[in-house]
Amino acid sequence: MTEERYAVIGQSVLRKGAREKVLGAAVFAADIDLGRPLVLLARRSDHSHALIRQIDVAAALAIDGVKGVFTARDIPGVNLLGIINKDQPLLADDKVRSRADAVALVVAESQAVAEQAAEAISIDYQPLPALFEPLEALAEGAPPIHKKGNLLLTRVVRRGDVDSAFAAAASLIEKEYETGFIEHNYLEPDAGIGHVDADGTLVIYASTQNPHYDHKEVVGLLDLPDEKVRIIQAATGGGFGSKLDLNVQGFIGLALHHLGHLGRPVRYIYSREEAYLATSKRHPFRIRMTTACDRSGRLTAMRVRAVCNTGAYGSYGIAVASRAAVHATGPYAIDNVDVEVQCVYTNATYCGAMRGFGAPQMALAHESQIDLHAEELHIDPLAMRTMNALQVGATSSTGQILTASIGYRQCLEAVAPYYRQACDHWLPAPTLPHRRRGVGLGGMWYGIGNTGVQNPSTARIEMAPDGSVTLFTGCADIGQGSTTVLSQIAAEILGLSPEAIRMVVADTKYTTSAGATSASRQTYISGNAVANATRNLANVLLTEAVNRLRAPKNSLLFSGGEIVVASKPEVRVAMATLARRIHDKGGTLSWQGFFDPETVPLDPQTGEGVPYATYAFACHLAEVEVDTLTGEVHVARVVAAHDVGRAINPASVVGQICGGVAMGVGFALMEEFEQGRTESMKDYHIPTAADMPEVVPIIIEAAEPSGPFGAKGVGEPALIPTAPAIVNAISAALNRRIYALPASLERVLAASIDAGHYRRKER
Amino acid sequence: MQTVHIEFMVNGKEVALDVPAGATALQVIREMLGLKGSKEGCGIGECGACTVVVDGKAVNACLLLAAQLDGCRLLTVEGLADPAGLHPLQEKMIEHHAVQCGFCTPGVLMSSYALFAEKANPKREEIVAAVAGNLCRCTGYQQIITAIEAAVPGENR
Amino acid sequence: MNRDCTYHRPSTLAEAVDYLATKGGETTIIAGGTDVMVDLRAGKLERRNLLDVSRLDELRGIRLEGEKLVVGAAVTLAEIHRSPLLANHAPALQKCARNFASAQIRNKATIGGNVGHCSPCGDTIPPLVIHQAEMVCTGSSGQRRLPITEVATGAYRCQIARDEIITAFVLEPVGADFADFQKIGRRQALAISRMSMAAMLNQDQEGRITMLRLALGACTPTPCRLRLVEEFLLGKKPQPALLMQAGELLAEQMIAITGRRSSIIYKEPAVQGLFRRILSPVACHD
Repeated sequence: MTEERYAVIGQSVLRKGAREKVLGAAVFAADIDLGRPLVLLARRSDHSHALIRQIDVAAALAIDGVKGVFTARDIPGVNLLGIINKDQPLLADDKVRSRADAVALVVAESQAVAEQAAEAISIDYQPLPALFEPLEALAEGAPPIHKKGNLLLTRVVRRGDVDSAFAAAASLIEKEYETGFIEHNYLEPDAGIGHVDADGTLVIYASTQNPHYDHKEVVGLLDLPDEKVRIIQAATGGGFGSKLDLNVQGFIGLALHHLGHLGRPVRYIYSREEAYLATSKRHPFRIRMTTACDRSGRLTAMRVRAVCNTGAYGSYGIAVASRAAVHATGPYAIDNVDVEVQCVYTNATYCGAMRGFGAPQMALAHESQIDLHAEELHIDPLAMRTMNALQVGATSSTGQILTASIGYRQCLEAVAPYYRQACDHWLPAPTLPHRRRGVGLGGMWYGIGNTGVQNPSTARIEMAPDGSVTLFTGCADIGQGSTTVLSQIAAEILGLSPEAIRMVVADTKYTTSAGATSASRQTYISGNAVANATRNLANVLLTEAVNRLRAPKNSLLFSGGEIVVASKPEVRVAMATLARRIHDKGGTLSWQGFFDPETVPLDPQTGEGVPYATYAFACHLAEVEVDTLTGEVHVARVVAAHDVGRAINPASVVGQICGGVAMGVGFALMEEFEQGRTESMKDYHIPTAADMPEVVPIIIEAAEPSGPFGAKGVGEPALIPTAPAIVNAISAALNRRIYALPASLERVLAASIDAGHYRRKER
Repeated sequence: MQTVHIEFMVNGKEVALDVPAGATALQVIREMLGLKGSKEGCGIGECGACTVVVDGKAVNACLLLAAQLDGCRLLTVEGLADPAGLHPLQEKMIEHHAVQCGFCTPGVLMSSYALFAEKANPKREEIVAAVAGNLCRCTGYQQIITAIEAAVPGENR
Repeated sequence: MNRDCTYHRPSTLAEAVDYLATKGGETTIIAGGTDVMVDLRAGKLERRNLLDVSRLDELRGIRLEGEKLVVGAAVTLAEIHRSPLLANHAPALQKCARNFASAQIRNKATIGGNVGHCSPCGDTIPPLVIHQAEMVCTGSSGQRRLPITEVATGAYRCQIARDEIITAFVLEPVGADFADFQKIGRRQALAISRMSMAAMLNQDQEGRITMLRLALGACTPTPCRLRLVEEFLLGKKPQPALLMQAGELLAEQMIAITGRRSSIIYKEPAVQGLFRRILSPVACHD
């Protein structure tokens, strides 16, 4: 592919909004001052599973300073939430399905009064047996958590003849893997504030990943016309998937709906404890994976039976199960595949989207299997991966023919020198007598965008008659940097600097939907929508310039706020001049852009289809030292090579990679949300700066023809290979494999003892 | 509710307040002083988002009783920049792409500021130790540490 | 905001003692606040008169007094970490302060608070145990001293009377060739100890152990000096096989105190591992 030169694409343009953030002036939802607010607090369920016989709010209402107490009956519209399947009431009506369920909403003058009132609500329950394990929930006769039963979905992907391939295998390995609940632990607990404006519109500022979805849900809950609800994304302190669900937005809407006449703003700031209790978690998985390969190490077949626990509600569970099924093979060509992933309701806190949607859990399995085969066949793990890597022309397990931008081999090649150096020099180097070193690899592929469903984005760009440019996007920047990246895309096309693009972001009054900030989709999908809008605008400017400069369109360039004739740079016209002329003629300077990746829905019986238009690839190398006496693991270095198609902002890509590695270190070694036990940040450990390895980020650019300037995505891919690489490194260090995450002190020490290192004579 | 009269310096200015006896410094900083740059991420000293500098030392404002501010010099993120411009730490955080969601940023800045007040030439390990009490879920810390290193005031840089 | 608290900051120890004499039953002493404030937020603070002793001069300072090392109760973990005196005379105590929680917490948390809170996981306790420290407290009936191992009567249960204030800790300075503190946590900072250990040891020219003090943290409800292990090793050369044996004895001693809880699956081998690791620099290989 020819290397094009760009002025802005590929530049590590400084973050929009970073200045406000270092000054402490960025306005997060909890920082917004709209005058003396009323405070909201949900009374959450006392049971994991129970019928509600009666709710008595009289005592709460009688407390001085209580302005209202609302229950399901007070919801005028549809009391059901959910982006994929609607099964989650905002306020429980006839039953509670988990401790996280809100039963009533208190509106009060202060937090203290709200707490007192929430406790004063009397709820008469009829307890039901609570089910926490998916297998219990699937058992015959298990009490149904939802009317339709406890199985939300089985996603199947089948291709070829697995049994024949297994029969012919030189190496056949069947193992079971397990992962637990993971808390997103974004630094900003969920928060929002709202008021009723002069037009009677409910205006809600919220910490969110998807304001346009929030809008739809609040409108539905309250049965209001679209224009009577406005959602504005406040500065959002991370999300990682959990702020895709409605957290505080519905409560604020309900309170405003009933108490708007008081003329007071209403505010709901989750304490960290409430954020832990009430928001989604990563789905725990139990995966039985069987893989076969021939004598040379070529993978021939895979069978997977996996169950994931979606807790009390679906949220993104269907997407997680589907993505897990599609990604089960990893970035490897396997002709015979038989995958079934069941997504099951239980009475645990509901599970939803979290960075990777099932792919990180599946990657633990497929990357462990590769190493197990490599060991059995005495093949180098890197060679094993290279041999099986997906390439252009390969067919995926869903029957999709991969036509371009398949950079997995390049990622492996980029990691190779580090791998050899680690194996040849770092591994044999002396360390403390009770420590053992190991090197491990982890690979991944990741479909950009939602799985086999439409997931369009839109954008609008406007040029004022003075030539100034405003880009309107519904795309929520939750810290990942989409606002900057989208401004770069528009700026590149118009020959402007990104600072010259004024951004109006994630305000449903002014922006149109960009879909969710999830699935690593915003650079690719919203980037394309922005490019589409901007090219439309560019085209009218060019048309006008042709007249003015008397040169054909294909000879013209955008540069520094002007359009110039490429071969005669002195022949030029300012865009402002063109804009004024277009405007005066009544032409349009406001253009809408649209993009929806080309996908084909998965067949429910076979899984055949085109789930994604493009895939990102990555390989991580982890170097670890294991303390054989205590089970402590020190990750010394992670080398992370990522095929992102095109790095529109390389420093932001590096930021995503390093952040993903950190989350991967946590997933690998220390993170585990225990239902009913993990209450505060004392109980849940994410990595600190002192836990982080040196990260060596490597950017690979296998350009995606359908991407904006070739870009794909990196947000979730950054996390996925880290834990498998670390687990493979620990397993190599100990000669004993860890099959369940996290690889905690307990599990690692048990493996060390089992392998005989613990009793080894020290010298 | 008992209130306690306290007088202290906030970002170079003297203030006198009557604070509730049980209030945290963070509540007073955010709600009474209106300085919203200090964030509450956990309320129990586990995340560092509320880090402020009191008498030259980084502390968690959520674990400090407001009454204990009496007679102290308090510096919050709002007091870092001066009319001449941003503090070098702030500049380097922007320049090295160390800011993502930005919720941890004020706390990280204050921890680093206190480190520099104590040591003119901290080594990378010392920087890591100084900000190990500031959790970040976005960046993986690498660009943060690099930014702080780049802002080290000592001559050895 | 917590409405029903009161706050009082005495300017002298005598004033503080007077206050406690009348209101001790409803008073919580606060210094660094790193534990008290967590309880206050959680609504778990029962005695809601807050008596701030953080600025009492009588509770501050680290000094040698004759043969003894005196550490004021309101000395912070950061001060312990920075103290050259402690680096020389109580290196295990100094080391435990290095990775204690976080810089922000080290700047506020005090040794008196860490001991007085009586958390089984208090990191300052094992080093104080090997220094045979005594806790000094003052109350209306005067001053008394209590061996560090007797301060806690159980997890989070303290011997100190409601009218008493911890004022200082009196330590025997190190006088040993070797002293160390190590901990196991789930991460490198902001980690509550899963297990900690402090050791102090002297050897003769042949390598035989002439003095050994060993203390275990985060494993037993109250501070634990491991005398059986100490006696077992005394007069012997710490060869790896012997240390392994001693480790087994240590684990037995721990289990004898705690019983077999589910966490013992990890703690039983880990305590031996930590023990072998902490003593590995002094192990004899001949």
